[in-house]
Order: sequence, then structure tokens, then C-alpha cells
Amino acid sequence: MTRTILVTGAGGVGKTTVSAAIAVYAARRGIRTLVVTVDPARRLASALGLEDLGEDPQPHSDEPNLWAAMLDSAASWRAVAVRHADPDVAERLADNEFFRAASEHFPASQSYAAADQAATFVQAKAWDLVVVDTPPSGGGIDFFTAPAQMADLVGGRLLRWITGGPLPGRRFFYNRAAKPVLRIGDTILGSDLLERVSEFLLDLRTTYDGVSRRGREINQVLGEARILVVTTADPAPVDEAVGFYRRLPELASTPAAVVFNRCLPNEWAAVVPGPDLSAEHALLAEQWSAETVRQADARGEFSTRYGATVVTLPWRPRPPTDLESLASLVEEGQGMAEVLDL
Amino acid sequence: MLDKRLVFVSGKGGVGKSAVSAGLALLAQRNGLRVLAIEVEASGGLAAHFGTGPFQFTPREVRPGLHVMRMVRSEALLEYLSLQLRIPGMGRFGAIARAFDALATAAPAVREIVTIGKTLWEVREDRWDLVVVDAPPTGQIGSYLRAPKSITELVTTGRIRSQSDWMAATLADSDATQVLLVTLPEELPTTETLQSLRWFEQSKVTAPPKIITNRVLERLSEGRPPAGPVADMAELHEKLWTEQQTWIEKLPPDLTIPLLFGVFTPGEIAAHISDDLEALK
Repeated sequence: MTRTILVTGAGGVGKTTVSAAIAVYAARRGIRTLVVTVDPARRLASALGLEDLGEDPQPHSDEPNLWAAMLDSAASWRAVAVRHADPDVAERLADNEFFRAASEHFPASQSYAAADQAATFVQAKAWDLVVVDTPPSGGGIDFFTAPAQMADLVGGRLLRWITGGPLPGRRFFYNRAAKPVLRIGDTILGSDLLERVSEFLLDLRTTYDGVSRRGREINQVLGEARILVVTTADPAPVDEAVGFYRRLPELASTPAAVVFNRCLPNEWAAVVPGPDLSAEHALLAEQWSAETVRQADARGEFSTRYGATVVTLPWRPRPPTDLESLASLVEEGQGMAEVLDL
Repeated sequence: MLDKRLVFVSGKGGVGKSAVSAGLALLAQRNGLRVLAIEVEASGGLAAHFGTGPFQFTPREVRPGLHVMRMVRSEALLEYLSLQLRIPGMGRFGAIARAFDALATAAPAVREIVTIGKTLWEVREDRWDLVVVDAPPTGQIGSYLRAPKSITELVTTGRIRSQSDWMAATLADSDATQVLLVTLPEELPTTETLQSLRWFEQSKVTAPPKIITNRVLERLSEGRPPAGPVADMAELHEKLWTEQQTWIEKLPPDLTIPLLFGVFTPGEIAAHISDDLEALK
């Protein structure tokens, strides 16, 4: 059976690095591992052998059990259209200006595409472990709610909102004068925009059956995955991690751990600058010690208040970008190997 | 920056965009300006920095002369319909708002024009000397600021069309409008900031943005401390400083804000940033 690890968290906390580190660590233990990343930094992408960015998993040239793939979120809605609509409708949708706008304005669509792609890899049963780096949109929560949101969207919610009533046929819009909502829309936006948008939504609606069926499959895969929430000790990411940690049980499952990235050595908390230090070094000691205390407080609060398993990864002055330093991030982290339980 | 009428603060998520917005608003207030700070993101980033609960659409005075509001699209739309278009019958507003939401999801720029439109009306009304916007992140700032132009291309008639021209002109006026991009001296924020700068250069929607690099370390000037934890701290500090320089060199040298060590409340962070901006003025 393929095991799945979902790596979630706010943007900028090192989620992609942690995903890559877990994958390299696992591959080096003989586990056939695929890491699926979203928008990696260039140095990290090249460490994973992903210079030729592609959605198809590529075997790593130096690490026999490691594969990597990159999700292209821009292609998301096109894929939905091609997979779930009749060929002529799919073509009309893909060329539609509103289609492009909707994929930009509906961030859940990127998460849907990512979740769909990740689920496809898990269902392929070609790997022992699939590590998924989730897109940060909607604070990461989108990844889990996207299948339902997507079905709701294409299922005609927007159409009903425009018409204020039951799902209309195409003829509805030719009788626009009778509908006050549409009249006001006309006043503000000009006469034909509503009609063009509604035509588009009617086309989109034909994908509903396919999207909602696929959504249930995706949810099943996500529900069986082991979830890690990555954060740093900074207040904003911790707030997001807390919100995430509390909502995940109803959406998928309780996260296996909260991973604090960029942790300073615990013993720095107790460092008191002695009289032998110069003014600059005394300030240095004071500053980094204060930072260590702040980090420990943030971790302590997370575990006591929410009962979370807390794992730490060391702060590297340069983000790790080769296989050796990626694997050592997990090895030197406290509690990480136990949580992964590979 | 304090001589402008409108400042947008953007940046990649997690770089301290809200802290800089709050710091700038505080700085303007301390200089005696009438300030409106607008929170565009739903994340409530500004509330923590002013030590208040969540903000509402109606501006609230948090310091003498400094008001803060949260941009809520449905309320901005309602206000627009009733004040600008004088459309009666707001009993049906729920239905209209939902219909508009549907449109806003599918049609480019319709969503953004309501919120950026409200912002630009506030600038035009002359109630404020300076409007500071905690704007959408760099990934979305383009479609947000370009909304008036996009509307002009999308709709050929209608009331919004005729208003989008002065909106676009206000944004493009370098005496009135300034964009600040907050970044960190790290790879991904730097890459995203440089991409965003190129977009501004090509689109000419506003004057070129200024860059604020946040959490910058100071270089250590003395030799290594004696072996032990303080020496380890110095080593990490120096390596981080070196890594930061890699990215700082690629960024325009506009403004930098130092890293704050240790325990701070969001309000203290905003006050520190306000002092730093004052010193840079």
C-alpha cells in the first residue's frame, strides 16, 4: 500500500524544503518515494533534479529510490475541462476569457488541481510513499476543502445566484428585462457581460458529475494521509498553524505533528553574557538567547494548549539544497524520525 | 512617502507586509496627518498591530487622527450602489450581492474594481491626507491594481466603465500614489519581488515601487568570541548575514528594516518599524 504524507502550513515557513527532506530521508532508507512539490525555489528544484519542470514524476539521477514531480497550478482548470466535459465544450471552455479569470479568482481551483494530481499519484500504487507539498492558498486549508468547493462552483451555485432562482435554461437570459438583478447588473457593467458570463457557467455546469465523483475519491485519499503542519516560531505562521491544527480533524484527520522549522539550540536560552565579552558579543548573546526563549515559548504553548506532538528541525544558515543536507535536516531534528515512523 | 495621498503595501506572504503597513500609518499619524489604514486581506493582519479586535467596514479611530477599516466587498458594493448609483430597493440587496459575487468569480477585474474603487473614492473625498492600504500579496497585486484598466477593456458601456478612467489616472499619478513591496533577504521572496518589479515596469499601472527589505541582520564587526555557545551564535549570525547579502545585492537599495530579536507583541513590532521608517525618511 502507498503511504501518503501531506505537508501543510503557511507560506514562507520552509514547507517545500521539509517535504524534500522527508522524501530524501525516506529514499535513503530504501523506501520508494515520490515527492510532489509546488513552486520550489530554484536551488531546491535543482537538488531534486527538477530543472526540466514537469508534472510527470522523474527518477532522481543520484538517489535510486527518489522520484520528484512538480505541480503546474496554472494548467488546473484546463485539465478539469478536458477530463470532465465533452470535447467540443472543453475546447470552448478552455478558450474562454472567463475561464481564465475564474481559475485566477477561485484559488481553490489550484488546490483542487494539486489534490487531484496528488491523489492520482497515490492511486497509481507505483511508490511506497508519496510526500505532498501543499499549495499555501487559503492558508493551506483549501487543499482539503477544494473538491467540495469545486463541485459546488461548477454545479450551478453561481448561476442560481445570478438568476436568483432555480437553474435556468439558456433561454432565460433573453428575458432579462424581467429580472431586477440582471437589470442592475446591466446598469453597472454594461449590457452583454452578464449574458457572456452565464453562457460560460452553463458550459461549466456540464462538468459537474465528473468533478463531484472525482472529488469523493480525492477526499478518500486525503483522509487516509498522515498530515504534518509546518511552521516557524514567528507569530503570524504560528497563528495560521493553530487555525489549521484545529480545523483539520473535521476536514481530514488530526495532524500527526506540528513541525517547528528553523529552531535554535535549546541551550542558547540559558546563555548569560559574562563580563569577559565585548559589548558587541554581549549584545549578540542577549539577542540570540532572547530569540531562543521566544521559540521555546511558542512551541510550549502549542503542545500544552492543543495537545499537539511537537517536532523541531534545526535552523540552517543556508536553506539545504543538496541531498546530504536535506537528509540530515530530518536526522538532526528532534522527534521527526519517530513521527514519520517509516 | 508621507507626501503621497495613497500608499499600497504588498509583498509575498509572511514577509511582514501588515507590520510595515501599520508602522507607516503610525508614522504618518505621529507627523500630524489624517490617516486611513485599509486592511484588504481577510486575515486581520492590522488588528493585531493596533492591539484592537477585528476591524469593520466602517472606519474606527485607533489613535487621534488614525482610522482603520477592513475592506469588505459586499459592503463596498452596497455603498457603491446606494451612494454612487442611487439605486433604491436595497431590500433585494442580498440577491444582488450574490449575483455580483457570481460575476466577480467569473469575470476578470469585477471583483477587484469594487474594493480598489472604494479605496480610490476615499482618496478623492479629501477626508484623509494619506490612505495606507495593507494590499493583497505580490501574487495578486497585479490583477488588483490593474482592475480599472481591465474593466475599460472588458466592458464597453455601463457606469463602472466611465469611472475606471479617473481611477486608473489616480493610480498612475506618481505624485499621488506609491507602491511599497516588502521583502525578505531570502531566495523566494527576492525572486518574487524582482518578478513583481518587472511587471510594474511593463504595465506602467503605477510609478515604480519602492522596496523595503525586512529582517536584515547587522554585520558583526569584531572577531570571534571565545569558544562556547556565544561563538556558535556568532557563527550562525555571520553565515546568515552572508546568505542575506546574496539576496540584498539583487534588490534595489531602497529601505531596510533590521531583524527584531526576542519577544515582541505585534503592536511593539509596528512601533519599531515606525521608528525605523522615521529614521530613514
